[in-house]
Amino acid sequence: MSARSLAEKFFGRLQAGEVGDILDLMTPDATVSLVPLNRHGPMVTDGAAYVRELARAFPDLLVRVRRLFVTADNTAVAEITIDGTQADDFLAVANQEKHLELDQAWMLKVTPADRISAVTAYWDQNQLYRRLGVKRLDKITITAG
Amino acid sequence: MTTDAIRAGPDVTPRESGAAAAVRAFFDAYRVHDVERMVDLCTDGAGFRYVPFEVWGRQRVLHGEGKVITVGKMIWTTLLDAFPDLTNAVTSLRADEHGNVAAEVGIGGTQARPFGIIACTGGHYELPHLFLFHVTGDGLIDDIVAYWDNVDWKRQLGCLEVD
Repeated sequence: MSARSLAEKFFGRLQAGEVGDILDLMTPDATVSLVPLNRHGPMVTDGAAYVRELARAFPDLLVRVRRLFVTADNTAVAEITIDGTQADDFLAVANQEKHLELDQAWMLKVTPADRISAVTAYWDQNQLYRRLGVKRLDKITITAG
Repeated sequence: MTTDAIRAGPDVTPRESGAAAAVRAFFDAYRVHDVERMVDLCTDGAGFRYVPFEVWGRQRVLHGEGKVITVGKMIWTTLLDAFPDLTNAVTSLRADEHGNVAAEVGIGGTQARPFGIIACTGGHYELPHLFLFHVTGDGLIDDIVAYWDNVDWKRQLGCLEVD
């Protein structure tokens, strides 16, 4: 499977919230860096927890891949948009049933054995807070209508 | 600068190495605050999108999106004015055979003037960025996209307002 195909599967399973299937695409010791959350650790714990929380908070989640290329070191680089309506608390933000549309960039490092060994994601958490109704960064749990 | 994912050797294609060189030259120019050189490294119609750059007014939202020669140059000039010691370090750089380049870059500086809603308290910041470029076969950048986290940036500078 090419790195491109692997990345497309990864984002398809992210949309479906299929944590087990995502982990099946990865090496057992795969790492994740969710840069805006300052979460850096094993995919099997930190990455899986993020995917579960995302799926629970946005049950109608859509993941749209806007750009995808594979660099010479077999890293799939993707710009995606995540889109959904909040149905539960997410990253400490109280649920107000707000609609979220957020652009993100992900890098998936792929091994010669066609497994993802490292995931790095960038996005602007300020945009996420703005769309979910947060007004102040020191009062994330307090949202405005 | 670290060399994570920066390749060299006979298996590196000319397109890959040319694109990587253009991006390295861009950040070299940025590091010495040579905005004209940054623009010169791009095509005349180069696209520009700083994804987190949103200014929310009462009537409309201004996005950091347009052309390098207009929006990009204006943002870089304003940023350098607000952070006169702004610097950068490329921590990883990856390219493909079609002119696409992904660069992880640490950018930091000390605030000397207000920037957007961030009032000046003289604070210093260090912030990871991911830049995505497209470079033509002639070695000119024709598209720049960047991602970073404004929450981290604003917290470091003492700004706690979302808008």
